[in-house]
Amino acid sequence: MTTINPSARKKIKAGSFSLNRFGPGAQAAFHIILALFSLLCIIPFIFVVIISFSSEESIRQVGFSFTPVSWSVEAFTYTFRLGNALWRSYFNSFLITIVGTILSVAITILYAYPLFRKDFRFRGFFNFLSFFTMIFGGGLVPTFVICKSVLGLSDNYAALIVPMLFSPFNVIIMRTFLQTAVPTELIEAATIDGSGEYNTLVRIVLPIVKPGIATVALLVALSYWNEWFLSLLYLNKNMDIMPLQYLLMRMQRNADFLAKNSSMLGADAAKAVAQLPSQSLKMALVVFIVIPIACAYPFFQRYVVAGLTIGSVKG
Amino acid sequence: MKKVLSLILTLALILSVLSFAAADDLPTITIMFHGSNVTDDKAVLEKVNEYIADKVGAKLEVIWGTWGDFDEKSVKVLEGADKDVDIVFTSSWSDDEYNSFAKKGYFLKLDDLFAQYGADLIAALPEDLMKAATIEGAEGKGVYAVNGFKDTATQNTWDINVTLLNELGYTVDDVKEKGFFGWGEIFAKAKEVKGDSFYPFLVEPVVAERMVTNSIIVSGDGNANLLSLYLNPDDVSAEGPYGNKLLNKFATPEYKAFVEKMHEYYEAGYIDPALSVGETSNDCRANHQKDASYLIGTQVYAFGYEYSPDVLSRGVEVQFLPCTEPYMDSTVSQGAMMAINSASEHPEEAFKFLVLLNTDPVLMTLMNYGVEGIHYTLDEDGLVVFTDERANYSPWTNGVGNVTLLPDTKDEGKGFRESFKAYYSTGKVIPSNGFFFDPEKVETEMAQLANVNAQYALALDCGATDPETELPAFLEALDGAGMQAYLDEANAQMDAFMAK
Repeated sequence: MTTINPSARKKIKAGSFSLNRFGPGAQAAFHIILALFSLLCIIPFIFVVIISFSSEESIRQVGFSFTPVSWSVEAFTYTFRLGNALWRSYFNSFLITIVGTILSVAITILYAYPLFRKDFRFRGFFNFLSFFTMIFGGGLVPTFVICKSVLGLSDNYAALIVPMLFSPFNVIIMRTFLQTAVPTELIEAATIDGSGEYNTLVRIVLPIVKPGIATVALLVALSYWNEWFLSLLYLNKNMDIMPLQYLLMRMQRNADFLAKNSSMLGADAAKAVAQLPSQSLKMALVVFIVIPIACAYPFFQRYVVAGLTIGSVKG
Repeated sequence: MKKVLSLILTLALILSVLSFAAADDLPTITIMFHGSNVTDDKAVLEKVNEYIADKVGAKLEVIWGTWGDFDEKSVKVLEGADKDVDIVFTSSWSDDEYNSFAKKGYFLKLDDLFAQYGADLIAALPEDLMKAATIEGAEGKGVYAVNGFKDTATQNTWDINVTLLNELGYTVDDVKEKGFFGWGEIFAKAKEVKGDSFYPFLVEPVVAERMVTNSIIVSGDGNANLLSLYLNPDDVSAEGPYGNKLLNKFATPEYKAFVEKMHEYYEAGYIDPALSVGETSNDCRANHQKDASYLIGTQVYAFGYEYSPDVLSRGVEVQFLPCTEPYMDSTVSQGAMMAINSASEHPEEAFKFLVLLNTDPVLMTLMNYGVEGIHYTLDEDGLVVFTDERANYSPWTNGVGNVTLLPDTKDEGKGFRESFKAYYSTGKVIPSNGFFFDPEKVETEMAQLANVNAQYALALDCGATDPETELPAFLEALDGAGMQAYLDEANAQMDAFMAK
């Protein structure tokens, strides 16, 4: 097997260092721009946290504000009193995300790897097969009918996981990544050394493309964590497996619907609006949703940054 | 590898065979409700299934649709001809609209089933409700849904904070006498006493418009909300000032007078600006009602609303002053119905269940209020007192069916349901009841007009923009978007309907 000598790699880096360097003025400008950008990203979340700790009176009086008139932890004590419903949906979100991500990444790799191998005869066909679904879809109702009636995806965890297992976009990312990171010679060398196909994939290829796997895993995990539409479609009777996003989405949609139809529903709408959870409660749930995924970022970050730069280093 | 795979496949086969063997022989019917707030239905369904096993010969499963997800779910079920759902809620106002879906063939025509099993149900429902359910559908004229017996007449009321009104030195009679156009003086007084940040006039703008001009919702006009049919405020069963003609809501002198006055009130600071923005309007109204920080508001009324917890909890004396007597129109008479999915495999059982639900007090109470001893208890007068468990089981009462079968609750007081029935039996039918506008031919115009409407109407209704300049601009934009074609089509349909 060939490996790059570490000292040689250092030399390459040191050589290109001065070329990539910016002057102090440009450095400062970039820092300021990036700082402003990160502020733009983080301020909405801080705002949400503040609202979740605002009292209802304060929201009634001054609306959403960075400086509420009075503070309250009522929204959080209420969410804890939601008890089972909250924790169960929290658990469901985790379960769906973890199982979904593992399965989806496995499928993506197993689909992308043969597409990357130039000696695979039906490469073109399978490439087209996945690519085709990016352009033409079945539409919502046929998809729903197939999933529900043919595949039995209804009121079970599978309904929330299976429809999103395969994404052609991720396969393309993975395939491109394999093409840039894994030289064909490496696989040939492994074959000559007597490594079987599975051994080559697991022992030789996968360790090299860790950054690519992490990128795809992050994308998949995010989409599973944020998913609520599948629950809307496929959960009817078994609400015990509802994920947290859907719990929140349902509150929001209820409020929207009542606002739209209040003049039709009359007193019924007024009664229903009175039962709706408060604004601060919704924001408290948003905090619950954001924190775990925000915690996951640092773990992925190392690989994602490596994944973004790997192509250019090879140049 | 192969061994493991074959083992798994064999196991899967055995399991699936076993699960079929364990299945019950009673068929399962599934019903889909709207607007529910139910997280735990085990106790209720256990009792219901015990109760209906002999009477219906089926087991019941329920999909508790909520306000936010029902439309999407039901449309999917019906469009996808999902045979797993037998009974679906429908109405004249939600997305799975009764008239259009019956026409598309999504609902089963029930006439034969009514003739065979429905005698009790026909006897239990007012004649007008049966009539309102009889429409032109995919299989010709007939009944395509079981109409729920709820508040069968519309009544718009002024919601008056009497405590504050008396504090200001006025009475409800003053409010009545002065009328909408003469309230300026009362509002000014309220503003003076309660301070500048107090907004006395808490309106739902589109409702206020109907109340002041005595116009009603025209079914089928949808979110565009462009047509007006004017009532006769003194006798709703007689023809209004324009007969049965449908008018461009925004081009009438009635509308002009209304928005001019609203603008005057708005400029004087009597109306909260948050009411003029679609996203905040409803929240704002609910919040001010909740802490009684208003003087006069609007409320679409249902008999007994003053006894509901959200009115009682305002902590002030509230009175609802009606603008007209209750009237029955097409919208309200198709307010909550239950249709049978034409893809259902058990239509007979489904229909039998609907008959029982709408005629049997035991089943209706069970479905609506839950299990005695768990979700409610009865006090010494036999009145229903809800327990904390009710929070986990609150279907939308009016969406379940015949609410007149329900026992009285403690909040409502003894004899409530009797007075409820009596109240609505007086509801008069408007001359054009049963008319539904079918916008199929003018769908393009409708979409464009709805956009124009969304741009201007709410702000005008709320008084936030000046009608002097905005109203002519609005009318011009409507004309440009094809208002005349829309009106002509609507009136042609109305004339054809009235000629019958």
